[in-house]
Amino acid sequence: MRRGFSRMNLHCFDRTFIRSSHSLNAVQLPAPMETHLWYVNPSEVKSESLLKQYLDILSPCERENVLRLQGEEMRKSALLARALVRTTIAKYQMNSPVEPRSLKFRKNMHGKPEVCWPSIDDWDPPPLHFNLSHTSSLIACGVTINSQIGIDVEEKKRSIKHDILSFARRYFSKYEVELLAAISDPQVQQREFIKLWTLKEAYVKALGKGFSGAPFKTFTIRFQGVMEGDSEAFDESSTKGFEIVVDSLDDPTDVSNTWQFSLLELDGSHYAAICTEKQSALDGKINIPGKLMVWKTIPIIEDEYVSGTDAVKVICGFQ
Amino acid sequence: MASVTASSVKFSSVSCLIKQSQVSNLKKASLSFAGNGFQSRRLPVLRFRVACAAKPETVKKVVDIVRKQLALPEDRDVCGESKFSVLGADSLDTVEIVMGLEEEFGICVEEESAQSISTVQEAADLIEELLEKK
Repeated sequence: MRRGFSRMNLHCFDRTFIRSSHSLNAVQLPAPMETHLWYVNPSEVKSESLLKQYLDILSPCERENVLRLQGEEMRKSALLARALVRTTIAKYQMNSPVEPRSLKFRKNMHGKPEVCWPSIDDWDPPPLHFNLSHTSSLIACGVTINSQIGIDVEEKKRSIKHDILSFARRYFSKYEVELLAAISDPQVQQREFIKLWTLKEAYVKALGKGFSGAPFKTFTIRFQGVMEGDSEAFDESSTKGFEIVVDSLDDPTDVSNTWQFSLLELDGSHYAAICTEKQSALDGKINIPGKLMVWKTIPIIEDEYVSGTDAVKVICGFQ
Repeated sequence: MASVTASSVKFSSVSCLIKQSQVSNLKKASLSFAGNGFQSRRLPVLRFRVACAAKPETVKKVVDIVRKQLALPEDRDVCGESKFSVLGADSLDTVEIVMGLEEEFGICVEEESAQSISTVQEAADLIEELLEKK
């Protein structure tokens, strides 16, 4: 499937330009309520010299962690994950040049990674949030402004060792188990299971409190019809579509008012779930569904804006 | 990490459960075992707890479950020190490993505990702790 791109033909409406002094292609920070997603397919990165360049931009600690891994595929995917997050954040125009290698990261008190911005005179760091997810076959980094973000990617065909319903009974909520149990086709059941898994992971990662901060059993993620207008009666014909919502058993506040989800299929092979805060939760204004912009990238080398192409299929959520 | 061979006590760098006075007594004890009598030398403050290391059979069962879950090649070395993430476990693998351990040992691992285990040894130690409570 040809997408007809070339290194020079990068477009993001009129918002990107190529910085000739760096190989990175600068991008504007996401607008409020916009989510940016950058992903790389490790099998498309073959050059040894390029991998060496990536290794070079990592911190000594990250380098050590990568080299400690046993297995070339694992090392490559771990290396690409760090290269992706560094080059992605450095791409954003922040009125001060940021080199991928000079970025510092730290973990919040629950272990969620965040950028540790340098303190520079007359420069306020952007309220940039990011989250990374990787499988051996795809690595993705989501970026937002102002809003917490959690993402999770998984191969569509990922199978688990346990029986799906046994696993779901142990870890998922009652509603989710019933939903999965009602699916008779094992392949469909497996796909729905993976979708649920990625959505639940994305939610926990967005919360940033670790697995134990929101045990999987304590919340339900489900697809809900979106009403046309103010119709009180829920009937199939009046729904505009579906949205993904979360109900929490533990949280007294209505968490579905805070968090919004998007579920995508990337490159026809992976599910990607994205969870971000709703605008209404952040500033009290009426919620406008967020916009999603997706790039497929080979860090340092090229970016391809793929929203609206076959590479990105929105199953539910942002448009 | 120090190991006192006269007993089965093993120091591992987990949370500190011993009061400071007891710590200094233990420090002296380990110094005299080592026979070098550096009584006046201050050891760096260590965060550690005294834990009975899990039985080798428990560790072996954990290793087997991990190997199976991650489909590791025969020549990949897996031992107590092995970290799940370094072996290639992602979050779904880790949850499956924990579920496998629950099934094998008939225990229930709470999320807080599951989150704190990152090596085979830690998993084995937690299993024995949970078995003891039963």
